Amino acid sequence: MRVNGQSVDLAAAADALGVKVDEVAGTRLLDVLRDGLGLTGAKEGCGMGECGSCTVLVDGRAVCSCLVLQGQVTDADVETVEGLADRGGADLQEAFVRRQAVQCGYCIPGVLMSCAALLERVPEPTDDDIRGALDGNLCRCTGYNRFHDAVHDVARGRCAGAS
Amino acid sequence: MTDIASTPWVGRSQPAEEAPEIVTGALQYVTDLRLPGTLHGVVVRSTVPHARLDGVDVDAARELEGVAAVLVAADVPVNALGPRDVDGPVLADTVVRQVGEAIALVAAKDAATAHRAAALVRVALTPLPVVSDMAAALDDDAPRLHAHGNLSGRIAFRSGDVDAALAGAHLVVHHEVRTPGQEHVAIETPGGTAIWEDGHATVWCGSQNPGLHQRKIARALGVEPDHVRMIGGPVGGAFGARNDDPMPVYLALLARATGRPVRLHTTREEVMTAGAKRHPFRTEITVGFDADGRILGSRVRALADTGPVITSGPNVMKTSAEMSTGPYAFEAAEFDGTVVYTNNANAGAFRGYGVPQVAFAVENAMTRAAQRLGVDPVEIRLRNALRGGDRHSLYGHLTTESLRVDEALRIAGAHPLWADRDEWAAGATWPWRRGTGVAVAMKGVGMGSGTGDTARARLRIDGTGHVTIWAGPNHTGQSIQTTYRQVAADTLGMSYDDVSVIVGDTAVVPESGPTAASRSTYAGGAAVHAVCLALREDCERLGLHLDTDAAGTGEKLEALGRAEHAAEFRLPDTEHIGLVPHADLATFAPHRVYGSCAQVVRAEVNVLTGEIRVPELLCALDCGTPINPGGVLGQAEGGILQGLGLALMEDHVVTDGIPRTTSLENYLAPTVADAPRMHTVLVPGAEATGPYGAKGMSEVVVVPTPPALAAAVLDAVGVLPAELPVTPERLLALMEEVA
Repeated sequence: MRVNGQSVDLAAAADALGVKVDEVAGTRLLDVLRDGLGLTGAKEGCGMGECGSCTVLVDGRAVCSCLVLQGQVTDADVETVEGLADRGGADLQEAFVRRQAVQCGYCIPGVLMSCAALLERVPEPTDDDIRGALDGNLCRCTGYNRFHDAVHDVARGRCAGAS
Repeated sequence: MTDIASTPWVGRSQPAEEAPEIVTGALQYVTDLRLPGTLHGVVVRSTVPHARLDGVDVDAARELEGVAAVLVAADVPVNALGPRDVDGPVLADTVVRQVGEAIALVAAKDAATAHRAAALVRVALTPLPVVSDMAAALDDDAPRLHAHGNLSGRIAFRSGDVDAALAGAHLVVHHEVRTPGQEHVAIETPGGTAIWEDGHATVWCGSQNPGLHQRKIARALGVEPDHVRMIGGPVGGAFGARNDDPMPVYLALLARATGRPVRLHTTREEVMTAGAKRHPFRTEITVGFDADGRILGSRVRALADTGPVITSGPNVMKTSAEMSTGPYAFEAAEFDGTVVYTNNANAGAFRGYGVPQVAFAVENAMTRAAQRLGVDPVEIRLRNALRGGDRHSLYGHLTTESLRVDEALRIAGAHPLWADRDEWAAGATWPWRRGTGVAVAMKGVGMGSGTGDTARARLRIDGTGHVTIWAGPNHTGQSIQTTYRQVAADTLGMSYDDVSVIVGDTAVVPESGPTAASRSTYAGGAAVHAVCLALREDCERLGLHLDTDAAGTGEKLEALGRAEHAAEFRLPDTEHIGLVPHADLATFAPHRVYGSCAQVVRAEVNVLTGEIRVPELLCALDCGTPINPGGVLGQAEGGILQGLGLALMEDHVVTDGIPRTTSLENYLAPTVADAPRMHTVLVPGAEATGPYGAKGMSEVVVVPTPPALAAAVLDAVGVLPAELPVTPERLLALMEEVA
């Protein structure tokens, strides 16, 4: 497993988790990230894949890391919000700040990862595309409208930059 | 009146100061903290709604290897969450009164061990009959939850001759509406970390009221409040849920018992089972109108279920009473509200605080009257609108000039969503029908007259010219520090970047009351304004300049021992208290300052399935000066969607005392797919007593959405829903009943 481009030292992660190395595979990816690697950007909001605040990218796909065991992603590239800027997502982060799309912010790391996956797949998403990509990310603060605004900003910016 | 064209910071949209840390994942929330050697805590909870607690056997749990502490009621020095019996114990002692009530606390070396130990705790119970129907809670033969019975509170008031007003009415509208328990669904579930060192507790746990939690912890531990440091954030959402939450007390107890850092993070199921909800209400209303649609009188009776302990029950009903006359001016009004104890979910503070429930009754009556009388729904509300400086219809006290109900309604009425509603409805295709609804509401800002509501701020300027301000209320998602910095920068004539604000930590922030009652910007902002004025006036007397030479000024003030200032803002009581006896002012707590909000909802109803879609919504918001307009709009949008959730899907179901909606799989909160495009228009105005003319707005935006949705349903399919949420099943049944 690589996380944000770096190979994971499973022994160190096991130590931090307080488990044996061969027990890491049976540990939820979310716990490996948060408690094994200290990457606390992904949050736990429900533990059953309903709220999306634990969303990370596994080989580019947005998944709930509370529903995945580490042993299911041993050969995968995992990306978290901490690595988002390095993979070209700084404009997305800036758009969320500028559009004041962030309130308490607890859902935002998951929302950003879902948006990042969407923008890779669909460079100029429609509002329906955005709804489809974010309907697994619960936010209780913002009412979601500003997420649309931020994603459209990024899409416009990237298209302008590419042309 | 403030001219915000001339203020460099106030009135400019300013991103939340912690937003850059949020979007990189760097911000450490209270449940992200990881201290070396931390133990993991678990709460053992009741699985039954009402039972005598015969004993709790913790021997096996304590003997498990890796367990550091298992605490029961007898281990809590003062086993009370508040000064009254009805505040409930920290841990159940002789009786349990709710599924999810805390019985024991466990701390162990890791989460798995803590859960194993919790499973070894043996609880001996004798079941007791359950009070599950709020309407039967006061029956003579109802089982009693408390020694004095099941009456939690009652508030009643009358102005004018309501019987005569109703007897002389051209039209009388009468109905009962029901509104459900609503779960806050703050995305961060309750939790945090606590340590105990040298007789002092430090607790990191989400709180809307760090001072109150500090006192609760001190009471339970039997220590002085200044031996407790409560740090109330960063926290992932609140909406009322972090007011009554006992989690900080649990954390402190476990830290003291073990002498080690203890971490607790409740599951979603736990908080949905045990956390406080919006009070379920049954509200009966009778309103008399003349032939032109002017209100002659109203009578409102409300019944609320506060669950097993008091939390905010009677205070919520106090707000219901005040808003039972809506944002309307008329002569005769009566309110009688009762709060009862049951074995259902505990209910507490939730954004809107008793107003959405009664407003649904009031606004449905206005909608019905408009239909019966053939008066435009905006026009009938305008004819009755309470105007700034008018006397309140129930209490007769004076409102301030800044109230803009009529302007909010005019903006709503002129907006294309309302003006073009017939063309929009004509575009519907079967099996969908389209309708448009309007509603308006107002809500008081701050805790009300006679309550002594006070916010405080401290300030220090250092030798580099940097100003640090410690102020409250706390931040729970509103970017309140950003707002305080904007107020401070303009008051001092300095740059936003040269001012820091710290909130939420009882060790440094002076007691400022809760992040509640739409008071944080208004009262906290006014305290910040006051402390900055104190510094500025000092500088002016001494001939020092903050704008051109902050560093020199800071150095000189430090040398003079005048670099620190403190100030407070006390919520002004209404100038004339009207009919309220002076001795009872805090009992009714009428407000001097109100904000208001009108909304237009477009709804599409599927006549085959009863499904409702809301594609677009207008919000006209009377909030005085918007200090951070982007922040205001964001708060409005989030509040509206919580109102729409209450209108369409949110329903905490408890049957026979058993909570049924304990996960996000069966408790539905709005997703992005449910969110309409929201247009928010800020009504021009300024409140003379608020900082730069600002007043609070975060609660009132929740209120008009459910009745506006109901009115849109009436417009679309000819039935007016009286029970929330308007689920497809309920709407289909209603349509069949009428057909």
